[in-house]
Amino acid sequence: MRLFSLYQKFRAATGLVLAVTLGAAPLVANEEAPPRKIDIATLPATMVDDVVVPVPTEVFGVLDKLGSPNWHAVLRKVENPNLGDRAQVALLLGSVIAEGFIAVEAQDPEEVKEIGRHVLTLAKAIGVSKAVISRTSSIIEAADQRNWTKIRVEFDGASHDVKQAMIELKDEQLAQLVSLGGWLRGTEALTTVVQKNYSKDGAELLHQPALLDHFQRQLDNMDSRLKRNRVVKQVRSRLPEIRPLIEKPDAVTSERVDKIHAITTELVKVIGSKDS
Amino acid sequence: MKTIACLVLALLCVVPLRVHATIDDALSFALEAASPYVKEGFTVREDYWGGDLPVKQKKAIVHQLFKGNEYWFWLGTDTENAKVTVHIYDSEGNLAEAESWSDKPHMAAARIVPKATGSYYLIVEIKRSSEERTRWALAYGFR
Repeated sequence: MRLFSLYQKFRAATGLVLAVTLGAAPLVANEEAPPRKIDIATLPATMVDDVVVPVPTEVFGVLDKLGSPNWHAVLRKVENPNLGDRAQVALLLGSVIAEGFIAVEAQDPEEVKEIGRHVLTLAKAIGVSKAVISRTSSIIEAADQRNWTKIRVEFDGASHDVKQAMIELKDEQLAQLVSLGGWLRGTEALTTVVQKNYSKDGAELLHQPALLDHFQRQLDNMDSRLKRNRVVKQVRSRLPEIRPLIEKPDAVTSERVDKIHAITTELVKVIGSKDS
Repeated sequence: MKTIACLVLALLCVVPLRVHATIDDALSFALEAASPYVKEGFTVREDYWGGDLPVKQKKAIVHQLFKGNEYWFWLGTDTENAKVTVHIYDSEGNLAEAESWSDKPHMAAARIVPKATGSYYLIVEIKRSSEERTRWALAYGFR
């Protein structure tokens, strides 16, 4: 490992005091050292608009390290999906994929398989089934083998592939709704776990202001037809209520977690409801 | 007709034939950089960022990270002899990465163990390149 040998040589040559000082500094291999501080307000770089929305596993994994959540209690049985209009199906597709990640945490192979089938049904309803056929087959196969790592990768891949297919069909805004649906169900699940056993570290996971701004921006920029859609309209009107509750990482109190839980639960229900 | 054919031939002689590479080629190098870390238990995300940049110009990406995870960001380029870097800053603008490297052809990487949950800035830069614009792709993994 060149990186470590360089660092060790450097430590040996510069003596203990300097080595202790550098111990807290990042290791930088073979390049001029990057600035230790930059001015965020006047970034020396143009911003990339694309935001990669974290998969639920990124959060669930931390919760697993903080304790042993009862994922079975969080897992919600996915009923035959209600096939509403395309916007609703896109949101539902995202939330069902998020449910898949919960089923993996709960290590429930039957539910994983069921969710895999629902993903295909929803993808078919929206005209992007070709993109996920092999993913859903892999999910079902991996569920039989209880290969949880593989299933996580395939659910992430399914989400990526349907969004790519939508973008290719010039349905980028539907792809955005898939991400939003997944985020809403993932956040609902996160608040369920944190509510059960509140800790500051667990609650801090809700501090996601940039993501909320991103979703809000996307909803505000959607075409008027989508903005008038009953489900999208409700999501757009309730989402801003979450933003002030997660503004500061150390101020996500138990009461705030309850409020976020109530909002996300309601929205996930709207996404899956037949009347909406 | 003869004139047009001559013109096309002349153009072919002047303009070098170039294979139009895509971001996918840059991504394949990023994923190659990721592969040893997958063996260490990192899950690589399917989503990634990509684009092209002139030399010395930087791109900033805002990304949500969670305290309790460890992340690697892998940057790839398909341009021969290009030198690229990626660094991670917290929301206050402090360099937040635990380590980084850029000493392998076509790739660079940075690792972070976030001290807090929140937004972080990933700064991508083309340090050196023979191309006017250099394609890049940035993938990430966590554990």
